[in-house]
Amino acid sequence: MTPWLWFSIRPVIASASGTSFGLTYNTLVVVTGVAAVGFAAGVVGSLALLRRRPLVGDAAAHATLAGVALAFLATGRRDLPTLLVGAFVSAVAALATLVFIRRVTRTRDDAATAIVIGVSFGIGLALISGITARGLPGGGGLEQFLLGHTAALTVRDAAVLAVVSLLAVVVVAVGLKEAVVLSFDAEFAAATGWPVGLLDLALVGIVAVMVVVGLPAAGAVLVTAMVVIPPVAARQWTDRVGRMLPLAGLIGLAAAVAGVAASAARPGLSTGPLVVLSAAAICAVSFLIAPQRGWIARRWSAAVLENQWSRGRVLEVCLQLSGPDGRDGVDPTAVMLRAAGDSWAGRRTASRAWQSLARDGLILPGGSGLKPRRGDAGNRWQLSNAGMAMAWERRRRIEAWNHVLDEAVESGRDWLTLDLPDPVDVLGSAVAPATSVRRAPLPVATPRVPESQD
Amino acid sequence: MTLDPNLTVHAWSMATAAAVSASCGLVGGFLVVRRMSLLGDAISHAVLPGIAVAVLAGGSLGGPFVFAGAVAAALATVWLTQALHAGVGLAEDAGAGVVFTSLFALGVVIVTLAASRVDLDPECVLYGILELSAFDRVPVAGVLVPRALVTAVVVLALVSGLLASTWRWQMFTAFDPAAARAVGVPVTAVTTSLLAATAVAAVAGFEAVGAVLVVAMLVVPAATAELLVQRMHHVLFVAVGVAVLAACAGWIAAWYWNASAAGMIAVVLGCCYAVAVVVAPGDGILARGLSRLQFSWRVACEDRLAQIWRSCEAEDSPAVPLPDAGGLLERLAGMWLERSGRVNRRDGLVTLSEVGRREAEMVVRSHRLWETWLGRHADLPADHLHPPAEWLEHHLGAAMRERIEAELPHGESDPHGRTIPPESNS
Repeated sequence: MTPWLWFSIRPVIASASGTSFGLTYNTLVVVTGVAAVGFAAGVVGSLALLRRRPLVGDAAAHATLAGVALAFLATGRRDLPTLLVGAFVSAVAALATLVFIRRVTRTRDDAATAIVIGVSFGIGLALISGITARGLPGGGGLEQFLLGHTAALTVRDAAVLAVVSLLAVVVVAVGLKEAVVLSFDAEFAAATGWPVGLLDLALVGIVAVMVVVGLPAAGAVLVTAMVVIPPVAARQWTDRVGRMLPLAGLIGLAAAVAGVAASAARPGLSTGPLVVLSAAAICAVSFLIAPQRGWIARRWSAAVLENQWSRGRVLEVCLQLSGPDGRDGVDPTAVMLRAAGDSWAGRRTASRAWQSLARDGLILPGGSGLKPRRGDAGNRWQLSNAGMAMAWERRRRIEAWNHVLDEAVESGRDWLTLDLPDPVDVLGSAVAPATSVRRAPLPVATPRVPESQD
Repeated sequence: MTLDPNLTVHAWSMATAAAVSASCGLVGGFLVVRRMSLLGDAISHAVLPGIAVAVLAGGSLGGPFVFAGAVAAALATVWLTQALHAGVGLAEDAGAGVVFTSLFALGVVIVTLAASRVDLDPECVLYGILELSAFDRVPVAGVLVPRALVTAVVVLALVSGLLASTWRWQMFTAFDPAAARAVGVPVTAVTTSLLAATAVAAVAGFEAVGAVLVVAMLVVPAATAELLVQRMHHVLFVAVGVAVLAACAGWIAAWYWNASAAGMIAVVLGCCYAVAVVVAPGDGILARGLSRLQFSWRVACEDRLAQIWRSCEAEDSPAVPLPDAGGLLERLAGMWLERSGRVNRRDGLVTLSEVGRREAEMVVRSHRLWETWLGRHADLPADHLHPPAEWLEHHLGAAMRERIEAELPHGESDPHGRTIPPESNS
C-alpha cells in the first residue's frame, strides 16, 4: 500500500473507531476482509431477493452454530477456516433436512423452516454450552459465533473471508444471465431447457456459502440480515439488475465497515447487531427518500395525481353549472360542494384545485360575458376560454374511454387482460386515482349506448 | 453454570420449563395450522427491544410492563411489515426479514449497553436463565415458589383462557378466514389476539430459553402433534403433552451432560418431531413402509397362486411341476402358501387346495375380465392389454367384477380366447 493512501485513510478509520491509536495493519486487513464479506453478501442476497426467496439462508444460518461446535470437537483446533468448513457442512445438512421434511412429511413449508431453525440452533447451543462447561482448551471463544465478533480475527482469517467472498462475486458475475432469467421468468427458463432445479440449488448453495462467511462478522442469529437488508435497500433505488447488484454490495460493504468500526469503539458490543443496525439505517433512509419507489416519492406522485384529478372535477362541475351557453356563471360554494362529495378531505383537495385553477387563469372572477341574473351577482365566476376548452377536452376523453370499455364489453373481450389501450394514453391528465373515483362518482360521463344494428 | 444437587431445584426448574412450553405449545398449534410459523419466529425475535426498553424503564422481568412492551413490539413488527408492503411495495417475507432482524439487533444493543444497570444481559437473551430461575423465589400461599414459575403459570392461564373463550372464532378464522369474515367474525381482532398471545408466550419463553429458541417451543410441539392426530383439540392436547415431556426430558439431559437447558429442550423437541415423522399413523415413514410391504406381500401371494392356477390350466391337470419363482418375496410367498394349506406339494408336483383354487380363480377372473373390458372399450392392441390387467387384478373387488361381467355379453371369453372363471359363491 502506498504511504500516502495509508496516511489519508488512517485518521478516518481512527476517528470512526473512536480510538486515537486504533489503526494497525491488522485492523485494516480485518476491515477489508469484512468489507469484502459485506459486499459479496449484498450481491448474492440480491439474487435471492429477486428469486423471491429472501429468507432461504435463515435455516442454514441458524444451523451453522452446530457445525462450528462439531468442527471444534472433531479437530480440537479453534482455527477459523476449519470451523467455517464445519459450519458449511451443517448448513448444507440443515437445507437437506428441510427438503426431506417437505418431501416426506405433511408438515407445511413454514413450519418445516421454523423447526429446522429452532432445533439446529438448539443443537448448536447445547454443544457450545457443553464445550464451555467442560472448559476444553481453546473452546472459550465459540460463543462469539452467536452474535459475531471481528476483534479476534487474524490477518489470515480475514484473507480467507475476502477470497471466498470474491469467489462468490465472481460466480455471481459468471452466472448472472441465468440467475436473472430464472428470477424473472422461471417458466421461460425451464421451457428453454435450462436446468431450473440445478440453478436454484446453486443459488441456495451460494447463499449458504455467504451465510457461513458472514458468520464471524454478524453471528449465526443475525447473519441472515446481511443477505436480506442490503438488497432490499438497493431495490428501492433502481429497477435495473445491473445497478442493483453493485449497489446492494456497496450498501453491505458500508454497513459491515460501520458495524466493525462501531464495535471497535465500544468493546463490549458484538459486531453482528451493529452491522445489522447500520444496514437497517441505510434501508430506512432508502425507504423514505428513494426516487420513485420511496415513500416520499410515492406520496408526492399520488398527491400530484390527486390534484390533477380534482382540477378536472372542478372544471367539469363548472362546465355543468354554467348553463347551456356557458354564460350563467358559477358560484364557488356550489362548485365546491358538488365537486368535493361528502368528505372533508374531498373539500380540502377541491378547494386547493379551485385555487390552482384560478392561479392558472382557467377560471375568472365574474365579468363582462355573463348573463345578468338576480341575487348573487356579487360572487360569480366563469370559465375562461382556455378553461372551457380544457373542460370539454376532459369530457371528450372520458367519453372516449367509456366508449372503449363499452366496445370491449360488447365484443365479449375480457378488458382486464386483453389489449386495451393504456388508460393514461386515452385519458391523459383526466385519469382518476381509484380513491377519488370511489369518493366522487362521475355524474356526467355516462357511457354512450351504441346504436343497435338491427 | 452451577447446579444445586438439591432435588427441589430440579423440580422447580422442570415445572417452570413445562409451564412455559405448554403455553408456547398451545399458541403454536394455531400458528402452525394458520401457516404463521415464521411470524412466530419473527415475533419471538422482535419482542426483545420491547422487553429491553420496558426493563430499562423500570419494569422487572415477568412484570406487567415487560409484557406490555413485548406485545407492543410484536404488533409493531407485524404493523411495520404490512406498512412496508403497502407503503413501498416490499414483499412480506422480505419485509419481515428486514424488520425482525433489525429489531432483534436493536434489542441486543440496548441490552448490552444497559447490562451494567439492569439484570438483563446478552447471555440471558441467547440462553435463557432457566438454570437460575429456581433461586429467585417469591412466597405464594406460604411456599417459596420461583418467580419465573408464577409468571409462567399466569401466562399459561391467560393463553388458555384466551384460546378457550375465543375458541370458535379462532377455529373459524384459522380454517376459513374468508367465510369467517363474511359472517361477521372480527377476523382482524382474532388474529391480533393470537399475535398478542404469541408475544406473551414468547416473553415467558424468552426468560426460560432465550429469544432464538422460543421458535422451537412454539412450532415443534404443534408440528409434531399435527403429524400424530387430526382434530384441532387433539392437536393442542398432544402439543402440550409433547411440550411438557420435552421440557422435563431436556432439563434432565442438560443436567446430565452439563449443557444449556435451552439447547437441550430444543434438541429433545427435535427428537420428538423425528420420532413422530417415523411413527405417525397413516403417513409416517414406518406406516407407509409397512403398508407398502403388506401390499407387495399380497401381490406376491396372489401372483404365485395365479401362476400355479394358469399352469394347471395350460397342462389341463390338477397337479403340475412347481413353476419358477421370481424374486425372494415370491419364494417366501410360495412357502407361506404351502404352510397355510393353499398349495400342496407331493412328489415334486403341486396342487391347489380348495381355498387356494378359489382365491387363484378370483385373481385370474379379475385379470381376464379387465382384459376383456379394456379390449372392448379402449381400442388397444391385444398385446397391450396384459400389463394394465396385471396391475389391476389386485385391486378389483367382487362388486366391481360383477359390474364388469354384467356389461359383457354372456359367456364371453378373454381376448386371448381363454374362459373367464366364474365368481365363487362363498
